Amino acid sequence: MIDFYQLPIFGILLTVVVFFAARALRNNIKFVLFNPVLIAITLIILFLVVFDIRFEDYNKGGKYLSFFLGPAIVALGVLFYEKYQLIRHNIYPFLLAVGCGGLISIASVSLISIVMNAPDVIIRSLVSMSVTTPIAIEITKITEGIPSLTAGVVIAVGVFGNAFGSGFLKLVGIQSQTAVGTALGTAAHGIGTARAIEIGPLPGAYSGLAMCVNGILTTLISPYVVLWIVGSI
Amino acid sequence: MLKAFLWIFLFLGIGELISYVTDVPIPGNILGMILIFSALKLKLIHLKDVKPASDQLLKYMVLFYVPYGVGLMSYFDFISSYWMVLSVIAVVTTLLTLYITALVQQKLEKHD
Repeated sequence: MIDFYQLPIFGILLTVVVFFAARALRNNIKFVLFNPVLIAITLIILFLVVFDIRFEDYNKGGKYLSFFLGPAIVALGVLFYEKYQLIRHNIYPFLLAVGCGGLISIASVSLISIVMNAPDVIIRSLVSMSVTTPIAIEITKITEGIPSLTAGVVIAVGVFGNAFGSGFLKLVGIQSQTAVGTALGTAAHGIGTARAIEIGPLPGAYSGLAMCVNGILTTLISPYVVLWIVGSI
Repeated sequence: MLKAFLWIFLFLGIGELISYVTDVPIPGNILGMILIFSALKLKLIHLKDVKPASDQLLKYMVLFYVPYGVGLMSYFDFISSYWMVLSVIAVVTTLLTLYITALVQQKLEKHD
């Protein structure tokens, strides 16, 4: 006889129930650090720690939910096609902006890791830090980092960008709303895009597209950067 | 709806297959994303064939990565040893990326 928490349905139910509860909470409390994903993860970890349940047992169900990240990435291609028409006349400035931002992100993670003498696993796990969580996890599998560390940092970066991104850009003299959208999508992926959609539909479209483009760019480049700096993958 | 999901899974499968048989260092699901965009652009499939499924998947995408986030609990010691370097990387990189991207786009974009 195995315990209930070792059945896959336990992990699935726990995740879904806590996630929707966290989202309902978000609708009542409009405070930016009350990000539903952040709250859901924190509550589930607390639950597992309190009841002394191992992550491996939880993940027997959790992995069925993670599986849907694959088709969700494919769905990003559909999103890209839908929004592409809206920005066609500005496609080259847009691609150049996302390209510069994506490269700066990789360079910055690498340089700071080297300067602060961080262990290799940090650059392996954080090189994809700016891109959307499912793609970042895939990149970390290639660069042999810790996917859960990637997911945690990527979500934190998204929440940070969502909360402070547009205020920071205003402070440093950016007036163009579409530029703010592109920047939020490039640096803070889907959670940043949620903020861009609040600014307006057009900044939202730029942000969603920037998230897709930077995802592809970072996938193509970061394994080579890690190989070059660390010497092996 | 079911047909739309089948299309998405078909492109995911093709992407995974290409990634498996060739040596390209690109994950199969990202190849699937590029392939479905190309198929839509070339009018091999239509937006209405896939949109019902893709909208649902994007709507719940955040739910799907919750288990990875929960996986952080296994790395508690690691994070408490390196929280300083992790925070510096995350904050500095994000602000720098935001600024450079917005600056390039603002300088070059056309308004009409």
